[in-house]
Amino acid sequence: MSKWRNFAVAMIFLLPAILSVVVLRLWPALLALHQSLLAPRATVYSLDNYTYIFTDPVFLNSVWITLLYSVIVNPLQIAISLGLALLMNNKLPLTGFWRSIVLLPVAIPQSVSAVVWAVAFRPDGLLNSLLAVFGIGPQRYITSPDQALGSIILVVSWIGVGYWMTMLIAGLQDIPKSLYEAITIDGANAWQRFRYVTLPQLRRPLTFVLVADTVANFLVFAPVNILTNGGPQGSTDLVMNEIYTSAFINGDPGSASAGTIVLVALVLVIVLVQFRLMGDRGEH
Amino acid sequence: MERITPRSVLHMAVIIAVALVFVLPLYWLTISSLRPEDDIFRYLNPFGPWTFIPNRVTFDNIIGLWTGAFARAIFNSLFVAIVTVIVGLAVCAPAAFALAAIEFPGRSLIFTAMIVSFLIPFDAIAVPLFYIMRGFSLQNTYAGLILPGVGNGLTVFLLRQFFMGIPKELREAAMIDGMGWFQIFWRIYLPLSVPALISAGLIMFIFQWQAYLWPLLIAPSNDMKVAPVALAQFSTEYHVSFGIIFAGAMFLSLIPMAILVGFQQYFTGSVAATGSKE
Repeated sequence: MSKWRNFAVAMIFLLPAILSVVVLRLWPALLALHQSLLAPRATVYSLDNYTYIFTDPVFLNSVWITLLYSVIVNPLQIAISLGLALLMNNKLPLTGFWRSIVLLPVAIPQSVSAVVWAVAFRPDGLLNSLLAVFGIGPQRYITSPDQALGSIILVVSWIGVGYWMTMLIAGLQDIPKSLYEAITIDGANAWQRFRYVTLPQLRRPLTFVLVADTVANFLVFAPVNILTNGGPQGSTDLVMNEIYTSAFINGDPGSASAGTIVLVALVLVIVLVQFRLMGDRGEH
Repeated sequence: MERITPRSVLHMAVIIAVALVFVLPLYWLTISSLRPEDDIFRYLNPFGPWTFIPNRVTFDNIIGLWTGAFARAIFNSLFVAIVTVIVGLAVCAPAAFALAAIEFPGRSLIFTAMIVSFLIPFDAIAVPLFYIMRGFSLQNTYAGLILPGVGNGLTVFLLRQFFMGIPKELREAAMIDGMGWFQIFWRIYLPLSVPALISAGLIMFIFQWQAYLWPLLIAPSNDMKVAPVALAQFSTEYHVSFGIIFAGAMFLSLIPMAILVGFQQYFTGSVAATGSKE
């Protein structure tokens, strides 16, 4: 009898949050779907916007750039984060302090990091003078079509790896010490301990980091918008930048919405795969 | 502490070298903000002692930050982030309470639906949300800047987890004493959850402090610009000096860095604090 009374009370507590979910997530997602299905000046739904973007060389280029970027940046960041986690997982003096330093760039707004790196990338900036110490001539970084994507990868990795490192350190600390003791008694060397204990035991946090990092990298916007605007010659035109450009530079909400739907669908698929992988692991 | 061996010395050296790589841009930004404009690029090439030690120190850039066009943007950022924390907790904490403490039909369904909806990353739907908010004339308003920050799935999830750890017996006893759900929430759950409320508040603060895409869309006017957007735009304008850019970047970094450092201390402190009753 008090069940429905509880329901009414719960609804009062939940109402603002439910409203915010509907207004801030579901409505925009549905609006994007609606706009993506309405071709310019059309009154009936069609897939014209999707046909258009998937034949538009500019959008196709941004898909290609995003894939190229993802294939490089995700394995790179995970390898670096894992290396950092192994390096920082110890009882040496000030360990917490060193970890915090690697984590600092995550806390800073991405736009700030992008602005600072933009100055470092200048011809007379910090990076070229650093290279000069090693006798390497000045590079063009974000103004060169060959180096711009690499420069973006450098910046987002400097920003992000500390975060993934922190999660992997937590994973490393969950590994039972007895596993290492057992394999050491069996005469295993450092590489074998890593290969047969650390890696398999780290599967769950590594999967999580892989998926979360992939999603985060699909959504990179501020560094591209500030450092390169997608250029030079479209070489850094990641998909978020392309959606922004269609919507606000080209004034084409149909194409922007179709791009948004493709992105949201892609992200949701990746997240669901993550839940699937984590779920499988949980059952064992 | 471990014994000092050649191995641990080498390990330490690698750690310090790595930390230097991460801290170098931040250090450079800090010293550049304290240098006269002429000195910022002067000592970069070739490297020398003055590359990393400012030989002339000035506070002009920091003063300029607070007297120029940037001051307004900093105020906007602070105001938006603080109001987001207050309103966000008022939205998320009651929801988390209902999902953790009240037993009602459809509870797990609503919880799942809410978490799944929040899995759609905010930035991905920023463009369609902009069209909606433009329809309500929320362009260049504080409401437009603040609203997206108040509904936060992570906050709801975090608070729910914490509330679920509060023993059921407490609320049953309170009910026998004649308390209603609102009193239980306000007088029992909230006072017991201060550490979780602070972490939730910090998550929302940092979300807003870092926001770039959304403020760029919804609040482009000079009066309503937030600091990260203003910084990015000033950095491409020739009338704004590098000193001011660096001072702005330093200020924007300082607050989250302080939170990050203070955060860890807070948690160790909170363990001790729960033992003493006020």
